[in-house]
Amino acid sequence: MSGKRVAAITKRLLQQFRRDRRTLALLFVAPIVILGLLGYLIRGSASAPAVGIVNEDQGPLGATVAAALARSSEISTTTIQASDGDSKLKDGSLAAYIVFPPDFSSQAQAGTIAPDVHLEGSQPGTIAPVLQALQEALLAVAAQAPGSSLHVLPHVTYLYGGPGFDTLDYFGAAFIGLVVFFLVFVVTIVSFLNERSQGTLERLMASPLRRGEIVLGYMLGFTVLAVIQSVEVLVFALAVLKVHNSGNVALIFGIEALMAVAAVNLGIFLSMFARTEFQAVQFIPLVIVPQFLLSGILFSVSTEPKPLQVLSNVLPLTYAVNGLRDVMVKGADLSSGSLQLDVGVVAGFIVVLVVAASTTLRRRIA
Amino acid sequence: MSDSWAVDVQDVSKNFGDVNALDGVTLRVRQGEIYGLLGPNGSGKTTLIRMFVGLVEPNAGTVTVLGQRMPNVAMLSHVGYMTQAAALYPGLSVEENVQFFAAINGAEGGVRAALEFVKLYDRRDSVVSTLSGGMRQRLSLACALVHKPQVLLLDEPTVGVDPQLRVELWDGFKEMADAGTTIIVSSHVMDEAERCQRLGLILFGKLLTEGSPSEIRARAGRPTLEEAFLSLSQSRA
Repeated sequence: MSGKRVAAITKRLLQQFRRDRRTLALLFVAPIVILGLLGYLIRGSASAPAVGIVNEDQGPLGATVAAALARSSEISTTTIQASDGDSKLKDGSLAAYIVFPPDFSSQAQAGTIAPDVHLEGSQPGTIAPVLQALQEALLAVAAQAPGSSLHVLPHVTYLYGGPGFDTLDYFGAAFIGLVVFFLVFVVTIVSFLNERSQGTLERLMASPLRRGEIVLGYMLGFTVLAVIQSVEVLVFALAVLKVHNSGNVALIFGIEALMAVAAVNLGIFLSMFARTEFQAVQFIPLVIVPQFLLSGILFSVSTEPKPLQVLSNVLPLTYAVNGLRDVMVKGADLSSGSLQLDVGVVAGFIVVLVVAASTTLRRRIA
Repeated sequence: MSDSWAVDVQDVSKNFGDVNALDGVTLRVRQGEIYGLLGPNGSGKTTLIRMFVGLVEPNAGTVTVLGQRMPNVAMLSHVGYMTQAAALYPGLSVEENVQFFAAINGAEGGVRAALEFVKLYDRRDSVVSTLSGGMRQRLSLACALVHKPQVLLLDEPTVGVDPQLRVELWDGFKEMADAGTTIIVSSHVMDEAERCQRLGLILFGKLLTEGSPSEIRARAGRPTLEEAFLSLSQSRA
């Protein structure tokens, strides 16, 4: 073991990095960006789930509980009409609504109260705060009531999903698309880069091939692989993991395939800005991770801090994730306006990328 | 009149940043001629060859190939270009590589003939990553000529190829030229230069002198091309 030889390797490594500004930036800038984003997402997501309160109680208890709920920091309440409840859940303006029935106070006299809790159900993060706030409000009221042997049996219904839904059911839908998107992106960016580094891209450019032909040929080739991968992922998720699905399997597959095509084109486009495979891999933390965090897959877009919502709303992955959830959790089909928007945005993104990849191709070869 | 010139370079200059790669080069290559570009590393040979296929655009001057101003994509199916480093797909077989380059140039067939020309037909099923450096160089050549181009550009084609095979390849080039193919070859190897009909000596981006090997030897007053080359280079340096 020679200290000098070890030092030679260490020194050479640091010399290389000194000239590779991009890698240095990645090493020192990316962690701040990613952690900052994550911190802002979690700490800044102050907006509590919106809960509608329907108080039909003929006695005083409903109003007392409603007032207790209004004081809760975990949810933000509004008073609504019972007839509006379901439509507000569907359009996403409420995460839940709670109904105190006309005989609510008399139920309490009898010892068992049963408020109706209607949950939207497709956002796992919103369910626990709603149930917990209700629990706390009822306990506070019960503590004040004389002869407190009050039983609370809330009657919970789910618009989407249900009590049998587990975490995989909520995340599975989005992850199916994400796995395909991520892997196809990495494979494409690396093989397009190989084309450049092994010199064959120069040969292609010196042939009658047109730029658009190269990009389209690549897209079709990788799409074949991506489609096979999509089928595999989908079958595994549905048949082996038994991820909940209320929608049309063909539609899920269609969205997945669109995401794969988008990933291919994103890979080709970004490979224009990398000179080595090493640099290409660096796009993963910078391009994929923020998109992943902001796509609504972990943190519902509607509870993000406002500035991040703006960002989420321009990132295509957000729409793809939302589309997959619409289909698998909510059972939406193509007649749904939300799904049409999702599919439209992803398709539009693909067109933009194909054009961008074709135009950058020539500039980067010379 | 330009019809008889396969390649016509008029007063071409190119700079990359503050480096003058080419500085007022004018040269013409006849159809069916074997023209050698000689010059030390970094003299501008490769930049000039890349201009013939439109990969580099001159800052000044014009490049005309087969009567068409370059860059011109439609022209490129008549041009074969062998890059300096063997640019191949390492995961494909020998035959698959040649088939691919035939297809993108719109050629039908010719794969077997190209592989036989470079003596690789017996190795057609070998995967490229298992080939030696010299074999890759030959395969790269097969890929450049499979579509029977009218102009064949060879950037140091026989680096790593053994002397025996080099002689055979040059006999092949001669045959192709006799059949009307224009061949422009860049080289450091003087016995290759000796086989060219005309040579252009490039130094610091300028065309130093041009002529047949015997003319160049006579001009420098030296018995061998190598000595002539060195003496002409030094007189201008």
